[in-house]
Amino acid sequence: MKKVLSLLSLLLLTPSASLLLAEPTAAPAVSSPLIDQAEAARKEADALGYEWRDTGALIQSAKDALQKGQQAESDKLASQALFQARAATAQGQYMAKNWKMMIPKN
Amino acid sequence: MKKTIQRGLFTGALVLLTAMTSKPAHAAVNYQALVDADVKKFQGYFLKEFPGVKLEDFGDGVYALDEDSRKQWKEMEEFPPYELDVEAGKALFNKPFANGKSLGSCFSNGGAVRGMYPYFDEKRKEVITLEMAINECRVANGEKPYAPKKGDIARVSAYIASISRGQKIDVKVKSKAAYDAYMKGKEMFYAKRGQLNMSCSGCHMEYSGRHLRAEIISPALGHTTHFPVFRSKWGEIGTLHRRYAGCNENIGAKPFPAQSKEYRDLEFFQTVMSNGLKFNGPASRK
Repeated sequence: MKKVLSLLSLLLLTPSASLLLAEPTAAPAVSSPLIDQAEAARKEADALGYEWRDTGALIQSAKDALQKGQQAESDKLASQALFQARAATAQGQYMAKNWKMMIPKN
Repeated sequence: MKKTIQRGLFTGALVLLTAMTSKPAHAAVNYQALVDADVKKFQGYFLKEFPGVKLEDFGDGVYALDEDSRKQWKEMEEFPPYELDVEAGKALFNKPFANGKSLGSCFSNGGAVRGMYPYFDEKRKEVITLEMAINECRVANGEKPYAPKKGDIARVSAYIASISRGQKIDVKVKSKAAYDAYMKGKEMFYAKRGQLNMSCSGCHMEYSGRHLRAEIISPALGHTTHFPVFRSKWGEIGTLHRRYAGCNENIGAKPFPAQSKEYRDLEFFQTVMSNGLKFNGPASRK
């Protein structure tokens, strides 16, 4: 009887034990077409040296929202990031050509 | 036959004339002269904007512009908040590394070398700042580099600055590569960036001396003379590049890392603009 009980408890514990001992798996990549677009645009602005302060954080927030199943919130945040990244790129491209016009004269 | 000789002579004369009048492809450009012209314009802007302020006083930053602020600052400087940092910096400067050498073994003149930095290293083709040299000395001697914005790097820099007070700023731009770095720094200074679409020059040239809420905006001329600074806002001492990063964040731009090429070029440009002033760091600021 004792042997049967210990065998039973071993059988019951094995799956949970293997779950506990298992290597933590990496979180699944969270993404949506809008997030991907925003990330690509952010990289473009960064390459010019003109990335804005909050764009990366907005993309991260969009990913977090998506992970929680909040699709609409995620899209909203990703759209903001995309807008910022595109504006930053336009700013960088304009400044690369026209920065000398910004030198004040007196 | 006669015609052939004539044609030959004509062509020869033409080639000779072209060679005499045209510039050779390798004609030396006087980059220092280009930069000196910029310095004259830049300093002239501030001298015209603030006619009562002498050139050498711009090293005192905003305290050169406002008498009340200057009085408060002078009182604070009687018992300077960076004093303990300078002492700590001295100890770190002389502290032996594991190999028996010290920071002192990397710097000439007993460490009074503030006036030698920043400079453009013609072999490495990049700007070398004082903080960069401090960390490179540590790494070359098998030590870990200091974190680049505050703490020990600022303390050692403050000590070096303190024993170098009065050294004249005279940064040279001798080559095309140095001029390119200077121009990158210049672009960084004048180009607008970030969510607020603002530039260094927008605040520290066009709006210098005006109020931003309760504070007066400091003039860009003299910005690099007095770092590292003990800022009341920070409650501690920090480097110039820490301040650059803070400014970039304030205007909604992603800051570059301290000692990045971007900030070193900016420091190079800004220090060149202060040529003729004296290093007077460390200092206290609000």
